[in-house]
Amino acid sequence: MYLKEINMIMLLILPFLFIGIINRTKSFWGGRKGPPLLQSLFDVIKLFQKGEVISHTASFVFQISPVISFASVICAGLFVPMVHQKSVLSFEGDFLLFSYILATGKFFSIISAMDTGSSFEDMGASREALFSSLVEPAFFMMLGTLGIIAGGLSFSDMISFSRQLGQYALLISMLCVIIMFVMLLTEGCRVPVDDPNTHLELTMIHEVMVLDNSGPGFALIQYGAAMKMLIISSVIINLMLPAAVTGPLAFIAMMAVTALIIGTIESLTARVRMTHIPKFILFMSSVSFILLSITVVLVYGRIR
Amino acid sequence: MIVYQSMTLVYLCGIAAIILGGVLAVFVPDTAKAKVVALFTGIGSMLAVYPCIRVLAGAKPFFFILCASRTFGDVPLVIDRLSAFFVIVISTVSFLGTLYAVGYIRPYCNQNKDLASHFLFLSLLIASMLLTVTFHHALAFLTAWEIMSLSSFFLLTFEHEKSEVYDAGLNYLVSMHVGVVFLIIGFILLSQSSGSFDFSSFKAALNKGQLSVFTVFVIFFIGFGMKAGFVPLHTWLPRAHPAAPSHISGIMSGIMIKTGIYGIFRVITFIDSPLPEIGYFVLIISLVSGLLGVAYAIAQHNLKKLLAYHSVENIGIIGIGAGLLGLSYHNTPMALLGFSGAILHVLNHAVFKSLLFYAAGIVYHQTHTVDIERLGGLGKHIPFAAAAFLTGAVAISGLPPLNGFISEFFIYMGMFKGLQSGMFLSVSLSLTISGLAFIGAMAMLCFTKAFGVVFLGSPRSHYPNTVFNAGISIKAAMTIQCLMIVGIGLFPAQVFSVIVRIASQFVEIGNYSLGPTLQMLGNLSKGFFIFLTITALLWMLRVFMLRKAGVYAEDNLCKLSFLKKLSLSKYRYKTWDCGYQAGNVRMQYTASSYAAPFIGIIKPVLDYKEQIVYPSASAYRETPKKAGTCLFPVSGSFESRTQDRIETCIIAPVISLIIRFLNLFSWIQSGNIQQYILYGLIFLTAVTLWIMGV
Repeated sequence: MYLKEINMIMLLILPFLFIGIINRTKSFWGGRKGPPLLQSLFDVIKLFQKGEVISHTASFVFQISPVISFASVICAGLFVPMVHQKSVLSFEGDFLLFSYILATGKFFSIISAMDTGSSFEDMGASREALFSSLVEPAFFMMLGTLGIIAGGLSFSDMISFSRQLGQYALLISMLCVIIMFVMLLTEGCRVPVDDPNTHLELTMIHEVMVLDNSGPGFALIQYGAAMKMLIISSVIINLMLPAAVTGPLAFIAMMAVTALIIGTIESLTARVRMTHIPKFILFMSSVSFILLSITVVLVYGRIR
Repeated sequence: MIVYQSMTLVYLCGIAAIILGGVLAVFVPDTAKAKVVALFTGIGSMLAVYPCIRVLAGAKPFFFILCASRTFGDVPLVIDRLSAFFVIVISTVSFLGTLYAVGYIRPYCNQNKDLASHFLFLSLLIASMLLTVTFHHALAFLTAWEIMSLSSFFLLTFEHEKSEVYDAGLNYLVSMHVGVVFLIIGFILLSQSSGSFDFSSFKAALNKGQLSVFTVFVIFFIGFGMKAGFVPLHTWLPRAHPAAPSHISGIMSGIMIKTGIYGIFRVITFIDSPLPEIGYFVLIISLVSGLLGVAYAIAQHNLKKLLAYHSVENIGIIGIGAGLLGLSYHNTPMALLGFSGAILHVLNHAVFKSLLFYAAGIVYHQTHTVDIERLGGLGKHIPFAAAAFLTGAVAISGLPPLNGFISEFFIYMGMFKGLQSGMFLSVSLSLTISGLAFIGAMAMLCFTKAFGVVFLGSPRSHYPNTVFNAGISIKAAMTIQCLMIVGIGLFPAQVFSVIVRIASQFVEIGNYSLGPTLQMLGNLSKGFFIFLTITALLWMLRVFMLRKAGVYAEDNLCKLSFLKKLSLSKYRYKTWDCGYQAGNVRMQYTASSYAAPFIGIIKPVLDYKEQIVYPSASAYRETPKKAGTCLFPVSGSFESRTQDRIETCIIAPVISLIIRFLNLFSWIQSGNIQQYILYGLIFLTAVTLWIMGV
């Protein structure tokens, strides 16, 4: 069936809904009515019709970076398993391209922040570079662990490992979900790592990096950030309930639930102090180490 | 008597042409020296590369055997596939290096510098590197190796009137000779056992079982690792590269240290089936090199020192890839992909590291400093260097779609292929995969720092007004390198089909089909093209939207000078400073502050010292410590210093122990000539007696 086309359309449209649900959840907990569900879509359309103001200090890098970052997110989205655990493009080793192409986008968004010569934006860039470098090892250790169990070496094959593991699959997938969830909060810049709504530049990470962007460039950045959250949560959904993701509607429903959870966490917890964020992210490494140990015991220890 | 094939004569003619260039350069005026060397290196490289291409295309190895004497035995010079690959890398990068030198050396002309010997040694270095990778005879190999070390020492101390350059040179010389001692021991062990100096006899000798393969391998690994720069033998690298002129740093870091890798590869071919402990030994050392190399690089604020530490990191990546574990576990795909990744990374690192050093050289000529904290905003002054540095930075961080990603992809895939063969192996591979990911992420942090602080933002100090004119030769050399980076990145399948022939020298391919791997790489480049297409489409969309909004700056597009103040929008304003209206350049984030959160995390492996000095404190009759807390601020200065903890905790104590031991013999050196003559007499008498068999 038109699975690839459906996935492609979902990849392009669902990010707005995802952000909308998060914002509505936050409004609910805050006792407000909240913006329309597709407000972020309207924002992007509005931004696209505007002009751009560019800093005197900024060079060509600043202008090409939003484009490269967004292209990297779309491209990474092509390799992520969505409905029916199928991705638009799938081949052996695609998860490496997934991770590294996101890193390319991040590289450019970091140097674009440094291009403005503002101390605030550099501060954000420094933090973004540090925190994302702490995420990588845990994510790759998880991939390595899945490689021990899985039958194939593409993203879709690795995530659908449950067939190989039987009754212990739930344990493994829960640990993976924890890892991916911390990654989602870090990469998506949500509470408790970063607060998209904060108004104090000194404590922001992602939002402070884009202070100078405007117009179409800023639209691409906003859209890209939402899409990145969508693709990571798509991995989570596929890990958590592989059997449930049988159709587009089920997928959208699961996505809505994830967004609800994120919104609830955002409303009910405070963000971590800046100096404690590395510890919060390194928690992910500990979990992935536990995951590795358990998997090795399960696979080689004849517990199965 | 000489036995040879005509193809090797072509190769030797190439080497002769390179040396001839160096000799001729002595007799021409200063301004023409570099051009003569570049011309002859170009011709020589082409001649040397031709037989190698024939070998890689499937011809049998070419050989040249010089039957020298009874003691030496036959001296073979063989171009097999491994040698051919290294010859190609060395001659290509050396030629580009000499081409770059034409422009780089111009400011030094007519400055009373000894350019004649500099270029003579440069040709000697290139020729000796070529000989090193083709001699298959222990003594000839060591001779070439020694010429290589000595000539690079003289090149390194180009600005020997500066004391730090002189120190760095001596440090390098001593390190290299410590390394050579281990190589000599290793070769003695092997040739004692085989009765010949020929490499081809070593394989049988090593596998007879008399020698411990592990011990021999470790001895060679220390010797070659000293040149390659594996931790903890890397300490000469961060000293040597900032001291050397940029074309020399590029050649040394790009290819000379790779001769160490060549040596290790060559030793691997001696071993029949490597024991797992050798594999784990290499894996652990390499992983530590990779992690520490990049971690130290982040803490460095000298651009060339930073690049030097990155060489340590990349040597580590090559070591991780040298899939010895795949060989010992008889896992063909793992070994094949690992070795292909390692071999390709040798080429990739040679290309992008020398490119980065060349860009740093332009920065040095433009600003007369490589201290990152004093630079900034250079993208507008020297856009060409900025573009080249950006290409190199993306490539060295291992990001797609450039070549660094391709070799790391091979290495990753090799490890993923080995995940399902045994508990111990899979755990160590998972940890290595995660370590390699961390290395890549840290490299990204480091190069966003280096590129962002040096080339973007506003200048942090006042530069001389004169713009360094890079000239056609520098631009040509660096453009070719950029094209190589992009080319290898975009067409991995074609590259792999060549590289796999070299890797097959280590790995028995047997009936393992390469089809799936080639298909995977084809998909990879499909992914790259999708990425580039989306980027181009989005860029056009953005131009279209700005044009529609009526803010498109038409006039700017005419002077489409890359990375300059080219702006799509006609609205420009100063950087948003959060409402503070008196921002200035001094308030920009510095490299130290960018790296500070990271340094806080890696403090256990790094000696990081901060010091605040209050020169005027005594005027206020305050103790310096209290000055920071007194009521009115006093002027003071801040300095931070980072030191390699490996060096202070491992290397320095060892050296002081050795010095204490050697001091016991200091009475031998009396400074009295008569006494030294006596030593000579005693020695001669003893030798005579020994030979006569008393």
